[in-house]
Amino acid sequence: MGIWVWVKSWLWALLALTTLTGSGSAAAEIKIGLYLPMTGSAAAMGQMVWEGVQVAHRLKPALLGRPVKLVLVDTKSDRIDAANAMSRLIEKEKVAAVIGEVISSDTLAGAPIAERAGIPNISPTATNPLVTQGRTFAFRACFVDDLQGKVAAQYAREHLQAQRAAVLIDQAQDYCVALANFFMAEFRRRGGQIIAVTYIQTGDQDFTAQISGFKGKNPDLLYAPNYYAENALLARQARELGLKTPILTGDGAQVPELLTLGGPAVEGMVFTAHFHRQALTTELGKQFLKTYEESYQKDLDAFAALGGDCYFLLHQAMEKAGGTDGAKVAQALAETKDFPAVTGRITMGPDHNPVKGVVIIKVEQGKFAYQTTIQP
Amino acid sequence: MKNRLLTLGAVAGLLLLLWGAQRFADEYQVRLLNTAAIFITLALGYHLINGVCGQLHLGPNAFIALGAYTAALLTLTPAEKSRIFFLEPLIWPFSQLTLPFAAALCCGGLVAAGFAFLTGFPVFRVRGDYLAIVTLGFGEVVRVLANNWQGLTNGPLGLKGLAPHTTLWWSWGVAVAALLVITALTRSGYGRAMQAIREDEIAARAMGVDVFRHLMLAYLLSAFFLGVGGGLLAHLVTTISPTLFTFFLTFNLLIIIVVGGLGSATGAVLAALLFTVGGEWLRVVEEPHVLLGFSYPGIPGLRMVIFSLALLLVIIYFRRGLCGGREFTWEGLGRRLRRLKGRIPFGARPQR
Repeated sequence: MGIWVWVKSWLWALLALTTLTGSGSAAAEIKIGLYLPMTGSAAAMGQMVWEGVQVAHRLKPALLGRPVKLVLVDTKSDRIDAANAMSRLIEKEKVAAVIGEVISSDTLAGAPIAERAGIPNISPTATNPLVTQGRTFAFRACFVDDLQGKVAAQYAREHLQAQRAAVLIDQAQDYCVALANFFMAEFRRRGGQIIAVTYIQTGDQDFTAQISGFKGKNPDLLYAPNYYAENALLARQARELGLKTPILTGDGAQVPELLTLGGPAVEGMVFTAHFHRQALTTELGKQFLKTYEESYQKDLDAFAALGGDCYFLLHQAMEKAGGTDGAKVAQALAETKDFPAVTGRITMGPDHNPVKGVVIIKVEQGKFAYQTTIQP
Repeated sequence: MKNRLLTLGAVAGLLLLLWGAQRFADEYQVRLLNTAAIFITLALGYHLINGVCGQLHLGPNAFIALGAYTAALLTLTPAEKSRIFFLEPLIWPFSQLTLPFAAALCCGGLVAAGFAFLTGFPVFRVRGDYLAIVTLGFGEVVRVLANNWQGLTNGPLGLKGLAPHTTLWWSWGVAVAALLVITALTRSGYGRAMQAIREDEIAARAMGVDVFRHLMLAYLLSAFFLGVGGGLLAHLVTTISPTLFTFFLTFNLLIIIVVGGLGSATGAVLAALLFTVGGEWLRVVEEPHVLLGFSYPGIPGLRMVIFSLALLLVIIYFRRGLCGGREFTWEGLGRRLRRLKGRIPFGARPQR
């Protein structure tokens, strides 16, 4: 019986807490909701985005003379929870706009709810084309796989002078599959040849069979748009087997672990990316970088930069719309043109996919070195 | 007879509550109620094979995935399909076929049951840990197929833009149907035979119970309800992809039926409610609060800590789950009410 009394008293205390601390929000403030994976498999990315949004909020804490309040809800990196979180933000917190989610599949669960309620929502990093396709209120701050794949092909043809490309795809990741498909189409259109396509699965450790297959065909470029762990292993094994072909990959490589896992083998690896701290061109970007690095004592990364851009994009759209009316803000967002954000000058293209420069980064002396920015 | 009337009354009461919720609750509350009903359906389906028959089946995610994909592919319009399948077109006849939601749900359930029929033969050749491994394997097979069969499932890109067909009537209707069918089955001669198999298979066989037939029956029915639940889930979340149907989903269902008490349908229903609604309610501990001048910043992830502590407490203090294998009955409720009445000193004592 004792345990029951104990459990009961705690439950009552919790209940009392929830009722006592009900939202005592001032009527004047504008609420912006965030649904991010603060726990679960994507927690690291969610936390970086949250940091970026907080810094952006610190730089521009007010809007139309009213204070902005951020409301964060965790999604556990889970789709059912992401849908619940979006619904909670709209119905219970009554937010004017939403930032999130980080993973495409979770964003696909949240976006239709916001669409029905007419709440503008913008994802920092959901690159799956389906996320914004055919929607009025869904946006994103990153470029899509479509654009990244095309730019990779353009860079491969024009800068690397590649003619015969071999492609290695992690088929368990929608991101890798989409990127590879867009790359191959564009590479062929620009007169290149795809001489081999081979598939792997996330978590694979041994790529020697695939590498030997490539070696026999003598490619002059290896396009492997996969995540950092597979990239590092691939580079190591390719160098061990004597395959010296340059490796081109996507933004999934931009993680410090690539360097620690890959060591000297990843030297010279090139990838397309959203952001590099030396590629900053805008005034807002420089201010953001300074504030971020001062408050967190670490280098600004792509996730935090894209998180900041979500906030700035919403901020400028609301200012232009002169209020928080969902339809007007969505329209202002869709009409965003040449907005000087952190990750470059952003123009909203068709299907609410930003058109902006793609950063090219090369691993040089164990560091991510900025090469150039390619405007599509 | 009296019990039947009481059950009928309870269903009518639930309908009234749902009608109220439909009219007055906001979308967030409706969504929670829908999620709860779907998890009740899934937990009950899983309970039939795991709780009633005592077979440690670890592949319900396969049946949920089959139901979800079948129903989703059948309700999407051809125009929507051609837009989603932009990497590789959807294979005929799914590319042209569109069915009403009810028919699609049934097909989802039937496809899941069909898969259960095919896998039932190898699965029930083994028992115990081996059965667990075999079913786990089939669960993975379905997930990997969904990931790689680009022309049918759109691979890792998944399906999106399903119409939100799952209303309170659908989700709770199916949940109530699952509850009625499964309790009726458990109380019938078939159910008694299944419980006999759970307690001692050799003894049951000696008494003339056809073990394979009974297990297969439970497996098929369980798969059907899991499939229908999957279809409902797909049309609630409105997007599915293979990552939704990992072993984690099985794991959550296993937690639900173990916390509820293995072998108790009542426990499965209660634990499913607790898992879905309680999980959302616990979000308050993650929000920032100002209480009596103290400000609390809110810690993301804290609710999972509390949730796991609650699980630990349940396992320590209620070793056989919340219901401990017992069931809710109207007689039990009556006894309890009478006892409660007896405690009130000035109330009329029940007459014997």
